[in-house]
Amino acid sequence: MDYDAIVIGGGHAGIEAALALAKMGCATLMITQSLDAIGRLSCNPAIGGLSKGNLVREIDALGGEMGHLIDKTMIQFRILNRHRGPAVQAPRAQADKFSYHRFAKETLECQSKLSLFQDTVVDILLEQDGSTICGVITERGHHISAHAIVLTTGTFMEAKIFIGEYDAPSGRLGEPAAVGLGTALREKGFTVGRLKTGTPARVKKSSLDFDAMLIQNGDLPLLPFSFDYDTVNRPSMDCYITWTNEETHKIIRENIHRSPLYGGKIVGTGPRYCPSIEDKVVRFAERDRHQIFVEPEGVGTEEMYLNGLSSSLPEDVQSAFIHSIRGLEHAQVMRPAYAVEYDYLDPMQLHLSLETKQIKRLFIAGQTNGTSGYEEAACQGLIAGINAALSLRNEPPLVLSRTEAYTGVLIDDLVTKGTKEPYRMFTSRAEYRLNLRHDTADQRLTPKGYSVGLQPEETMNRLKEKLEKIEAVKELLVSSKIDGKSCIDLLRKPEIVINDMLDDIPQLHEYDEAIRYQVNLDVKYEGYIRRQDRQVDRFVRMEKILIPDTFDYDALDGLSTEAREKLKKVRPSSVGQAGRISGVRTGDVAILMLALRRRGRSTPDES
Amino acid sequence: MEDRLYDTKDIIYALATPWGSAALAIIRISGEHSIELLSSVFSRPRALCDADSHTLVHGFLVDPENKQHVDEVVVSVFRDKRGYTGEESAEITLHGSLVVVREALQLLGRIGMRSASPGEFSFRAFMHGRIDLTQAEAIHEIISARTSVGKAMAMNKLEGALFDRIEELKQRVLKVVSSVEVQLDYAEDEIGGDIEFPFEEVTFIHKRLDELAYSYKIGRLYAKGAKIVIAGSTNAGKSTLFNLMLRQERSIVSDIHGTTRDFIEAELSIAGIPVLLYDTAGFREASSDSVEVEGMHRTGRLLDQADVILLMLDGTDAQRAKATSSTLIQDSRCIVVWNKTDKALSLEIPEGSIAISAKTGFGMDTLLNEIAKRLLNDTTTTGQDQIVIESQRQYDALTRASAALKKAFEFAEDEVPLDIIAIELDEALDALGSLTGDVASEEILEQIFSGFCVGK
Repeated sequence: MDYDAIVIGGGHAGIEAALALAKMGCATLMITQSLDAIGRLSCNPAIGGLSKGNLVREIDALGGEMGHLIDKTMIQFRILNRHRGPAVQAPRAQADKFSYHRFAKETLECQSKLSLFQDTVVDILLEQDGSTICGVITERGHHISAHAIVLTTGTFMEAKIFIGEYDAPSGRLGEPAAVGLGTALREKGFTVGRLKTGTPARVKKSSLDFDAMLIQNGDLPLLPFSFDYDTVNRPSMDCYITWTNEETHKIIRENIHRSPLYGGKIVGTGPRYCPSIEDKVVRFAERDRHQIFVEPEGVGTEEMYLNGLSSSLPEDVQSAFIHSIRGLEHAQVMRPAYAVEYDYLDPMQLHLSLETKQIKRLFIAGQTNGTSGYEEAACQGLIAGINAALSLRNEPPLVLSRTEAYTGVLIDDLVTKGTKEPYRMFTSRAEYRLNLRHDTADQRLTPKGYSVGLQPEETMNRLKEKLEKIEAVKELLVSSKIDGKSCIDLLRKPEIVINDMLDDIPQLHEYDEAIRYQVNLDVKYEGYIRRQDRQVDRFVRMEKILIPDTFDYDALDGLSTEAREKLKKVRPSSVGQAGRISGVRTGDVAILMLALRRRGRSTPDES
Repeated sequence: MEDRLYDTKDIIYALATPWGSAALAIIRISGEHSIELLSSVFSRPRALCDADSHTLVHGFLVDPENKQHVDEVVVSVFRDKRGYTGEESAEITLHGSLVVVREALQLLGRIGMRSASPGEFSFRAFMHGRIDLTQAEAIHEIISARTSVGKAMAMNKLEGALFDRIEELKQRVLKVVSSVEVQLDYAEDEIGGDIEFPFEEVTFIHKRLDELAYSYKIGRLYAKGAKIVIAGSTNAGKSTLFNLMLRQERSIVSDIHGTTRDFIEAELSIAGIPVLLYDTAGFREASSDSVEVEGMHRTGRLLDQADVILLMLDGTDAQRAKATSSTLIQDSRCIVVWNKTDKALSLEIPEGSIAISAKTGFGMDTLLNEIAKRLLNDTTTTGQDQIVIESQRQYDALTRASAALKKAFEFAEDEVPLDIIAIELDEALDALGSLTGDVASEEILEQIFSGFCVGK
């Protein structure tokens, strides 16, 4: 074999997969269509956000790279939802796109056991048995062998971009699609679907009138996403806000027939949570204006990103509606907005480890699985990389539960329910989100990263130290009294925060703000978390009733036809997962449990 | 949440005998440590805990809060692997009065037992190998007839109008949930600031839920007793009927008190329903007696509160009877009773009226049946709301939803963070979902995307 593992694609999923594999000791090759596009932020110049920020911190806690990359390249930082509740707060940062790419590439280049190669994969190679991966074929005719493959092709498989009447086989504007691989996978029996996404225009900074816009500053100080250090030293740049108006909407309405979306040229489903401007104007006709964010693409570039104006209308229409917006009257368009339609693989064909059910040691991660977003892609890439490495060691895969990580929720949702539109993470998808605060990601996941060999001893020590400090502060609160009342009880009151007690308990000053912040939340949310615990217990027990991969659903009497088909397709690993499949009803799960119980009884060594 | 069904860790209880008055009733409980938990509300906890399998223990169910005896009972003890379910379990045999049964069930709920889902005892029996697996199909049907997963099935369970009403309220809660969730899923700058908490809407829903819960007629009647007022002109035979009803029903609980000029009150039970029966001062054309005038006032107030009014008319003097009582006859709560039919042989009884002779006892069965029918059909409520809920489970779910909404309202008033308010709203949605079908997170997102223009 040429390599232990090959990672196809150098996007956010590919980066995490390749680094995880190499760090876990596998000789790894990353094949990408363009080395200059590694870690490219194809759409908005920002990382994080609600639940996405949590994903970044989870990636970091496990030993992934995304947190470090954004910490090194951020040009604005904010904590979102400060007033709406700590459980759903999250960090978001604007990124310098060019340095983000450069740091990503440099990190890969410096990683031992990892090689980079520019080519396009057009097919995969299978062993004689037809069900184990053994390599890839590239466009330039290379046959490269490996024991495991992680496929992270993003939006590039059979991709096509649309700008009004114009269309071209590209994954990003000016970059050719990866043609051939999607067809090859179809031929091998994979179910492939079409999705659509889009990106807005970029305009020249010096052509804009910022005085006519609202300025949006970042928070200070800038805080790191990574748990590995406490501060970041980066510049903070401003973003700007402006609004569309009746004139903008009129231009869009009058030209809507020229949109490939309304003309039926695009068949893929787009994301409802991130609609194009024409979608917003049509669907929310009563709104007289929509908010537009004008965001810098980086330091040392004139390009500005028009967040909120994604579109697939022709370029003359785009220019017209952009120029109708206050502050953008003389905007010089540098890149037009466009829609992209691409192949994705139905994620129900995957195990929770992200390995395909059909082909052994073929893992798929990222936008190829029907997700959207850098963070969603990266967390899958990391899990796929870890599990590819574990499979090479013949160790059981790392599967995160819905109760311990947004990453777990995301993968479970994809694999169990599939997706019909680009899947984005939302806090409301997590039933136990109180347990998934971004500031506790290290407690939840770093030990797991350490146990698979991704996190070094120092990180574990750092975590241990942090936990000791948290315990110490809690003990301090238990033993301290203000006006005869226990401080821990006082802190449970909604109107009191820990920093109110600094004068009365001067020892609190010895601890960092981050530690105090966490104790504050731990104490305040304790009651609610305990209330969830019973549900979590029940959930975990159901997850622990495992279903053997070879389980014969056809031999099981009493299942509804729909349930039988779905169960055979998803092949859930546990009764808990089975219960989340749409179309599987309570009665079906009951029967399944009975059958498993009978099986357990007849072969006692199994249970 | 549907998962509960499969969770054999919970201790579950259910009434094993039909819901109705009978000499005895049996409540079945099952689950690990169920006997120990039961002993916490048993007058002889030690005796119960030490009892061998397949033995009987006599004692009282005791409300731990006020130390009152709920009922004298016999508990059949089944140790681990030996009960119907194959788990530690017990059967409590108690007196079959619905008031007692209801209190006992509530007591078990209060100490942390869970009301069993349909088919759950059988499910556990299967799980523990007590019943042959070939019956799996049967259990599938039983369980699927329950709510949530299959909405179509839920409709079989809930009467159409009631299903619609609860579903409508659930959709309204869903909208409230989405107005909170959208702020948890999108940052301040993405949705243009905060969305105000829909206080009015939450109050509206919570009131509707309370009304529905209140319509749980059996629960209400058993909790408070039905009020039946005998009214009519003087000398129509009201007191004779009153005494006759008390005599025919052996379950008189209290003594008669009051005076005839005021009213007389007695407790009895009709068809197992506790009843407060009132004999009132008779109607009479303009009276100058001030005591009697006051008596008439009180009669008026009693009539306002009555669940059923027995309007007594003197069959021997039909003309006067009709003249004095014309307004009451219109009242839908009214049962028109023509008395003295033994004397008024030529009297023609209008349709819908009942003829009796309080003196001979003629027609009493018909009258008592009619009263029971009225009470159980709830035609007696004065409200416009004709929809009534039918089971303890529905009642529990509605009150759970209502309580959660109230809590969410209070939290919002106190400016508690939205992520906590969301927990209460989810609880309300979950409770209503247990009746008309669970709400998946996808539906919440759907509501968000269709209701709010989101995204940068």
